[in-house]
Amino acid sequence: MNEKKNLKEIFKDIQQHSCVVKQCLKLIEYFLAGPMCGRCLPCPMSSYEMKIILNKISIGNGKLQNIELLQEIAQNMFILSMCKKGKDVAKFIIESLEKHKDEYIAHIEKCCNKNECLALKIYKIISEKCVMCGKCLEVCNESAIVGEKKLPFRIGYIPFEIIPQRCSRCGECIKVCEYGAIEIVNIKELETVLVE
Amino acid sequence: MAKLVKVRIDGKEYNLPEGMNLIDAAESVGIHIPNLCYLKGMKGIGACRMCMVEIGGRMSIACNTRIKEGMDIITENEKIKEMRKFIIDLIISMHPLDCMTCSKAGVCELQKYAYEYGVKKTSFTRKQFGFSIDDKNPFIKREPDYCILCGRCIRICKEQGTAVLDFYGRGVGSKVVTAEDKPLQEAGCTFCGSCLDVCPVNAISEADKWRKGREWEYKKVNSVCLSCGSACETIVSIYNNDIAKVNIGAEKGSIEYYLCAYGRFGFDYINSETRIVTPQKKVNGEFKPISWQEALETVAEMLKGPEQVGIVTTGNLVNEDILTIKNFAEALGIKNISSTVSLYADNESLLGPSVEIDKADLLIIVGLNPSQWDRVLAGIDVAIRRKVARGAKLIIMNSESSKLSDIANIVLKGEETDFISAMLKALNNSNIDISEDVKSAVEYFEKAENPLVISSTPLFEAASQFGLIKGSVVAVPLEANAKGTVMMGLKCNSKDYKDITSKGVKVLYAIGEVPIKRPDSTEFLIVQHSHLNELGKEADILLPTTTSYEMQGTVIDYQGNLKRLQKAIEPLEDVMTNREIFKNLADKMNVPLKVADTSDVIKIIEGIKLEFKNKEISKRTDLIYKPKDLISSINKTMIEGSRLFWLKEIEKITMNV
Repeated sequence: MNEKKNLKEIFKDIQQHSCVVKQCLKLIEYFLAGPMCGRCLPCPMSSYEMKIILNKISIGNGKLQNIELLQEIAQNMFILSMCKKGKDVAKFIIESLEKHKDEYIAHIEKCCNKNECLALKIYKIISEKCVMCGKCLEVCNESAIVGEKKLPFRIGYIPFEIIPQRCSRCGECIKVCEYGAIEIVNIKELETVLVE
Repeated sequence: MAKLVKVRIDGKEYNLPEGMNLIDAAESVGIHIPNLCYLKGMKGIGACRMCMVEIGGRMSIACNTRIKEGMDIITENEKIKEMRKFIIDLIISMHPLDCMTCSKAGVCELQKYAYEYGVKKTSFTRKQFGFSIDDKNPFIKREPDYCILCGRCIRICKEQGTAVLDFYGRGVGSKVVTAEDKPLQEAGCTFCGSCLDVCPVNAISEADKWRKGREWEYKKVNSVCLSCGSACETIVSIYNNDIAKVNIGAEKGSIEYYLCAYGRFGFDYINSETRIVTPQKKVNGEFKPISWQEALETVAEMLKGPEQVGIVTTGNLVNEDILTIKNFAEALGIKNISSTVSLYADNESLLGPSVEIDKADLLIIVGLNPSQWDRVLAGIDVAIRRKVARGAKLIIMNSESSKLSDIANIVLKGEETDFISAMLKALNNSNIDISEDVKSAVEYFEKAENPLVISSTPLFEAASQFGLIKGSVVAVPLEANAKGTVMMGLKCNSKDYKDITSKGVKVLYAIGEVPIKRPDSTEFLIVQHSHLNELGKEADILLPTTTSYEMQGTVIDYQGNLKRLQKAIEPLEDVMTNREIFKNLADKMNVPLKVADTSDVIKIIEGIKLEFKNKEISKRTDLIYKPKDLISSINKTMIEGSRLFWLKEIEKITMNV
């Protein structure tokens, strides 16, 4: 799909993501799928390794050492790649690491402030706002929402809830909710709630 | 020679030839620049980036840098070390870490560098791919999981013209495959095993190497493959008085860096079923083992009437043997002595001056049809292809179609002698009317500084007329030591050979694999060979000798180089070398005999003056030059007694399909 993209288009493309981790991950994924030629060894190998690490960070399995490792790989890749393509990619990652280190650390602490790293996010229904209209239930393809629609003649009902294991974070429920009762929170926040 | 320029390497001044590859140049002064993908003699591709050095303060790779005046090179500092460590680290993250059982351990380049740079384990994620192993053939085993994607196997395969391997995919997870990922035997592989010798890791290895000793347990000796006229050098690895493997012995990066399947995988035949282990005598149509004492007495008795005795040798005995046989015949007064060399060559066609293919810039192939695919003079085929890949021009004159024509600059198809005389006339007189092709061939010849004509033996005298103008000319015999046989003074002419082998002598003494049938008039046939061949079955007495791996000696290859064979393994208990047999025979007959050694051979070689002579341009019709038939018949016992038999069967099947 992305094979015909050149590096310039990829750089432009990834600007649609505002989360830096997501940006870097997408850059490397596109790079490996397209312009990477594989003629020298360090560039594909480093990219592949960085893809694994960035993936780890973006799903919340990252550790603080990973950031240092990433920095080391990118710096070595910048010197060792044969052509400009590899160097450009490495440079982007070095710069992103320098400028937004706090965001990377935030990811390791399991929170993505730009709501883009979906694995770090959880959809939650705020019961105070929920009017139990049942619209979200209808649009959910994953059957991740449970609850009973409120009917005037009934007392006693099951409240609306999202089961995180089933939720695919597609965002359809947010679109249909007129009351803003569904919001995205970081896993970390949820965890603290649970701990409390 | 290129002019010498001053360069600084690691702070020391050296005078090195300008334009030389930096890795080779550093190697020549004893500095090793680490590399995983560089192949000596070929252009550097800079894939592994291990050869990073600092030239005048700038990082640069060494494998495609050429020596220039005033270069200041630092081959290793902290920064470079760090970087090399990083590359090793990355490669190790996707390499199986089973060095404890890996059969490449000890010569593995990755292992060597990991040790050198202290990379104990990878700091990155371990990656495993689980590619399938290709072990569908008894020669070469490919395990892509070990592959570090250096591409050496692909490049060497392409350069020698087979081009069986290529990459599939890019970057991590790509794989070296044959076309459509078929097993090697279905992909047109010739099983020469060049890829096996250049692989830095265990990705391509000998199929039978598993648990047959480890690299550091091997004793290594230099030897020569005697299967055909290429006479390729080999290195034989010995484990427990048994041959573990055979590798290319030629210098790395030279155009002769090659060994075909016969030379590399044919060694199994030494202990095959047909091996003769004791002297045997035929009694009532069946062979009975006898003692050496009895055998020698019987043979000595038979050799008493020298006029009735004929000796036939082959062209792949070592010089020392040939010389001893010649001395023996002279001492006894045996006149009927000839060699299988007479079938396709004689003194006139083989005694040309020494040549060096490597120095030539134009190759003219006259009437010769070497082929890796048929394993006919395969080493020469590869040498020519490499030479062309490295910039030499190629002209082919052949009346038959030749596979080399695909890479030739000019193909002159037709009667070779016509083309030679046309070219020679045009060289003498520029106004002569000739065809377009011949004209451009003449232009190439005039431009070339050091042309080399490689011809078949029947055409040597015609082709040697080029040598009188400039460059050099060489004829390629079909047996490994044919040139040596002639130089040692063994009379070779086709009439004698025919007289001995077809009209017959009363007592025929055949030494080695002689491709004849027992003549009717022969009353007593002595066969002296390591294995029981077709002729041996009809013999009256069999004398077992050593194979080429069990003795030492020298051969002279077609280029005129003296190549040495060292003794690789101890011979069987009851087996003697040709020399020893003749010495014992002479003792039995009370005839003085000097057993020749290498110093005698060298003395004789130095005494021979080789030059071109003015001759008529004609094709010798008395010589039969059928490379394919002859080479397969002289190697018959080897092929049938080893795993090469499998290859022959497979080739038959694939050819029919």
